[in-house]
Amino acid sequence: MEPLQFFLPQLWFFILGLFLFLYVLLDGFDLGVGILSITASSEERRSILMTSLGNVWDANETWLVLMGGSLFGAFPLAYGTILNALYLPAVIMVVGLLFRAVSFEFRENAEQKFLWNYAFGVGSFLAALGQGFALGALFEGIQVDGAGHFVGGMFDWLTWRSLLVSLTLVQAYVLVGSTYLIMKTTGDLQKTHFRTAKIATITTFLGAVFITVSTPVLSEELRVHVFEGDLVYIFQMIPLVGAWLAWSLFRSLQKAQDIAPFIWTVALFLLSFIGLGFLIFPYVIPPKITIYQAAASPSSLVFMALFVGFLIPILLAYTLFNYAVFRGKVVAAEE
Amino acid sequence: MTLDSVSLSRLQFALTAIFHMLWPVLTTGMAIFLIIVEGLWLRTRNPDYYRHARFWAKLYVLNFGIGVASGLPMAFQFGMNWAPFSEAVGDFFGTILGFEGTMAFMLEASFLGIMLFGWERVPPLVHFMSTVLVAFGANLSTFWILTANSWLQTPAGGQFIDGKFIVKDFFAAIGNPFMRNSVLHMFFATLETSLFVIGGISAWYLLKKRHEEFFKKSLQIVLAMAIAVAPLQIFIGHLSAEQVYHYQPTKLAAMEAQWETIPAGQAADWSLLALPNDRAGRNDWEITIPKALGLLLELKIKLSEPVQGLNTWASADRPHLVGLIYYSFRTMVAIGLYLATLMAVSVVQWWRGQLDRYRWLLWGWIWAAPMGYLAVETGWIVRCVGRQPWTVYGQIRTVDAASNLPPAEILISLVGITAIYLFFFVFALYFGSRIIRKGPDLTLHPPHNSVLAVQHLPNQRPATESI
Repeated sequence: MEPLQFFLPQLWFFILGLFLFLYVLLDGFDLGVGILSITASSEERRSILMTSLGNVWDANETWLVLMGGSLFGAFPLAYGTILNALYLPAVIMVVGLLFRAVSFEFRENAEQKFLWNYAFGVGSFLAALGQGFALGALFEGIQVDGAGHFVGGMFDWLTWRSLLVSLTLVQAYVLVGSTYLIMKTTGDLQKTHFRTAKIATITTFLGAVFITVSTPVLSEELRVHVFEGDLVYIFQMIPLVGAWLAWSLFRSLQKAQDIAPFIWTVALFLLSFIGLGFLIFPYVIPPKITIYQAAASPSSLVFMALFVGFLIPILLAYTLFNYAVFRGKVVAAEE
Repeated sequence: MTLDSVSLSRLQFALTAIFHMLWPVLTTGMAIFLIIVEGLWLRTRNPDYYRHARFWAKLYVLNFGIGVASGLPMAFQFGMNWAPFSEAVGDFFGTILGFEGTMAFMLEASFLGIMLFGWERVPPLVHFMSTVLVAFGANLSTFWILTANSWLQTPAGGQFIDGKFIVKDFFAAIGNPFMRNSVLHMFFATLETSLFVIGGISAWYLLKKRHEEFFKKSLQIVLAMAIAVAPLQIFIGHLSAEQVYHYQPTKLAAMEAQWETIPAGQAADWSLLALPNDRAGRNDWEITIPKALGLLLELKIKLSEPVQGLNTWASADRPHLVGLIYYSFRTMVAIGLYLATLMAVSVVQWWRGQLDRYRWLLWGWIWAAPMGYLAVETGWIVRCVGRQPWTVYGQIRTVDAASNLPPAEILISLVGITAIYLFFFVFALYFGSRIIRKGPDLTLHPPHNSVLAVQHLPNQRPATESI
């Protein structure tokens, strides 16, 4: 094989990883705030929660569309096979996102808000749950035939391990949602979210420890990959760095810092992502199909990379601009 | 139709597409209207234009949320229900959808926040640019989606090797034969639908004698734009039909319920109304306009190419549901003509200074409000049901494009999504009509220009509201 045929799929693996990371981080706090809204003690608080997302939620959700479109273009086989295998988790996620998306405006216009409060909260939870199941199932591997087509069953994705992965992801979203709210709110509301952030740090940490320990124990292939590959040092570093980051996060919460908790959470997300990336690479449909087998033709990958590569800095620039315009705390209107 | 997985997947895609289409049609077209009113405000500093921008944006954002949400299931279905299709054409089709996301969606979604809630936070010119970028993003989305769909109609730019499409020339694939007219037809469709929705709502206020001066402005802006848009849309529609005649004979035959071939060089009748009988392969009855088919297709009486009849092809090689295609096409054309006529009559009354005088004319506008939607939906039915039995015309059959899923699995998602969509539809109408009944806020003051001084204000929408 020519070097290009290695390089291009790797490049696209990286770009997709970047898109997915941005999605999980940005829509993560978005969904996390949604889940937290179920516990909001008053309509006023809930309004502030939703207002803090008003200008960003659909841009955040768009990273998922971007990721999907790019996966479709770069690894068409994986797009079909993965979504075939994860049909029901995908439906759960989409239904959740549907309810949550309409509830912003419906709630705004409604006199009886409780219906849309639940649509927003439960929708956020379902979306996170569906994504977690998908992640967990991908982790456990998807049954495919020699050509890479899905040959498993309708409920393959539903195992006790994927359930645990899913609940951990929900916790992680609640954590990043809480630290986002610490940044965006003041007073009692902020205090509440210092508390939710602490709880979520602990629950996420427990889930992450469980996943980290059980992965090499339960999967022969991954055990070999982790302990006998070239990357053994990286795989040993990740839990150590992770524990240090979690500790730092917890301390910044103890000190009631404004912005630091969010930054530490972002770092934790990034670390987990790098870990997952190394674990899955070079597969795109674990445990059998590699990125080289599933990739689109080199001409497509080059064509897409030219356009998308040119656009990524622009996308990031105006995303940052959007956050900069709406920086600062959200407080209740005086009128 | 039996309930096999192909039919269920088709039904699910059709339903989600039909429902999804309702929302972006308005947001894409209305975005252009919003540019105009905001531009007028910046130019004249008349606060009414600012209030127009704020008022219509309420309907805009209601639609936008449902549009974003209902689009997701569409994108995912390509993988979920149409995996063999995705694998076969992903090289091109997936690339284009990826482009749509990176270029169009992100632009629209990011600047939407500033457009809706950023009035006090950015200088007016930056706000105006945000509105322009939102409209640009939305219309870029039209471009990529119609490019992708046109490619399904007239694939170009590469070849199918072992059932997988290999792209040779991306620009030839993007510039496939249908692309230009399809993009334009949809661009004008979104614009025309939105104009007549805005015009229809404005006419309702005029009829109710509420805020008459205010809504006369919007009706006039709409009318001024419709002078160009309504006739142009008919013209581009004509060009599109001509292309179908040339490239997709099976679709044309179904659109015209033409069962027998008419050779070139002859004059042919145009069927106005008919009862197509698919099983017998003929129309049970028919009302025709003599010699009109050539005039409609080529603006001359004699056909230069044959119009092939449906009976020419084996049953598996031509579209069925002929009645649906035939009447959908006629519905779309009739609506295009109605809207153009309404525009012409209104222009005359405007000229005479009596635009808001006649109740029948205002009612004509109110009736026009939902018609654009109907035309768009029926147009898409002609385009996609008429393309059958092909998913990629002449290359990939729909039966070969579908995933082999357990029907029960599709049924779960189909029933769920249909129920949810119905629920949303009812509430969207309910909340939409509430916004309209409540009317514009004419006490709203345009933002002050000392912009950067107002940093820690809450966002525009009130964060507290009594329950």
